Amino acid sequence: MTPILTEKYNRELGTVTDGAGNPGQIRVDVRALNKSFLLGSRVIEAVKDVSFTIAEGEFVALLGPSGSGKSTVLNMIATLLKPTSGTILIDGEPVVHQKARREVGYVFQRDTLFPWRTVAENIGYGLELSGVSKAERAERVATCIQQAGLSGFADAYPSSLSGGMRQRAALMRTLVVEPEILLMDEPFGALDTHTKLDMHDVLLKIWEREKQTVLFVTHDLSEALTLADRIILFSARPGRIKESFEINLPRPRDAVTLRETPRYAELFSHVWHSLGEEFIKGRTP
Amino acid sequence: MTGRYPGTVMWQILICAIVLAIWQWGYDVHAVFPALVPDLFDPYFISKPSEIWSGFLLLGCFKTSLGAWNGWSNGDFGRCMVKFDNNLWFATWVTLKNTFFGFISGVSSGFVLGLILGRSDRLSAICQPFITAVNSIPRIALAPIIVLAFGIGDSSKIVTSWIVVVFLVFYNTFAGARSVDEAFVNAARLLGASEWKITRSVVIPSTMAWVFASLTPAISFALIGVIVGEFIGAEHGIGRLIIESEARGEASGMMVAVIILMVVGVVLSALI
Repeated sequence: MTPILTEKYNRELGTVTDGAGNPGQIRVDVRALNKSFLLGSRVIEAVKDVSFTIAEGEFVALLGPSGSGKSTVLNMIATLLKPTSGTILIDGEPVVHQKARREVGYVFQRDTLFPWRTVAENIGYGLELSGVSKAERAERVATCIQQAGLSGFADAYPSSLSGGMRQRAALMRTLVVEPEILLMDEPFGALDTHTKLDMHDVLLKIWEREKQTVLFVTHDLSEALTLADRIILFSARPGRIKESFEINLPRPRDAVTLRETPRYAELFSHVWHSLGEEFIKGRTP
Repeated sequence: MTGRYPGTVMWQILICAIVLAIWQWGYDVHAVFPALVPDLFDPYFISKPSEIWSGFLLLGCFKTSLGAWNGWSNGDFGRCMVKFDNNLWFATWVTLKNTFFGFISGVSSGFVLGLILGRSDRLSAICQPFITAVNSIPRIALAPIIVLAFGIGDSSKIVTSWIVVVFLVFYNTFAGARSVDEAFVNAARLLGASEWKITRSVVIPSTMAWVFASLTPAISFALIGVIVGEFIGAEHGIGRLIIESEARGEASGMMVAVIILMVVGVVLSALI
């Protein structure tokens, strides 16, 4: 268990205090999570004794080198993977394997837009599943398409869109059902630097308005600093929490200009040092 | 059609003309230079275009066996159609009808089976050896048994056709359902889709490409199944027409039937 988190965390009350001492409702509570895989006859420990909590409206980044088990943790929270041991509570209720929760949204590493549906049909899919009427669906989808800057592409198929546009559409497919908790698995990892910055601005704008509870997996420190309130740093395999950093950069943030501020540079070098150690450890000799 | 290579159609017509000419007159050369034309070109075996045309007119009820035209307005054509019950047109209709039913039943049952087994690891593990065993039987070998069991009517042809088609479509659907991108399934599940919704909105659409790929061969297979069934025992149908002509030693009748089958095959494949 990581001391940084426990000192602010009162499990009995189910509340945490943020940096300013304001109590917030705990939405996601991960306790003593372990996950090992069987690779042939070898047991690979992917995640080892990971515990943390995320409060209502908090934006948390899981940062670490590749193979550090951060995506595994996310997928266990998303119910896609079954933990070897440990508990995951969402709003105090344990998650069940392959039982999706209405209030939880998930954005994949690569866009998983259905190629046989148009952009509008893809975005409307979640609404279709929950039985929203056609008229209301059309309205909400249209709003999302506009927000994502995809006007004019509603009837296009994903194959005719650029990578950035596809990921924006994928983001909207998740957001249209208004999830309160967002799980994001390196959603912008495959995009080029400029598109990535655009996506950061899109996401920041949405988040600063809606204040979802976000858990964002990334291996990119600048991305984590740009977006998050708190960075949880994972060590190289077996993945465990190494350190946790409060990112008290002022909001609203601008993805581009934020990087010019001295505070950003200061935080960057501070976290980089610790992350760099893990990169070196994770290297195969 | 001729856009890319000028003269394509001209070449095609030329090739047809040459083939037909050799077919028609090639064997006449045999009398002079026996070494130049193989014995197989004997019209007794392969008939010749002019005889095939006469055979077509006869089997199609356009002419009487004496060579007189059957009039349309005086009712001779109609009387021929009634008297000669396996005439070309009725035979084609019967074969087409049975092909259609064999195709429809084979495709639908193969699709459903492929989908169920493709999405259930457990069921497919249990059924795997049986499927492999049954699949290694040449389906055509079952035709006599099927005719024995279902009689010489339409049903035995439909069953033969079905058994040939069902495996083809089953295997394609199975492979398609197995290769559904799990990321799509997960995406749907996390958006709240039930297993049934996942099947309907993710598995079936991503399997469709595989199913469609199997439809063109399936239609040819369905036709093969029906023809073989008719060979074994039938009252009507093009396969029956071939067997009758063979019994009478009439190559022209067989060729008429084969050419009709070719036309039917081309038209059906084009429809899919």
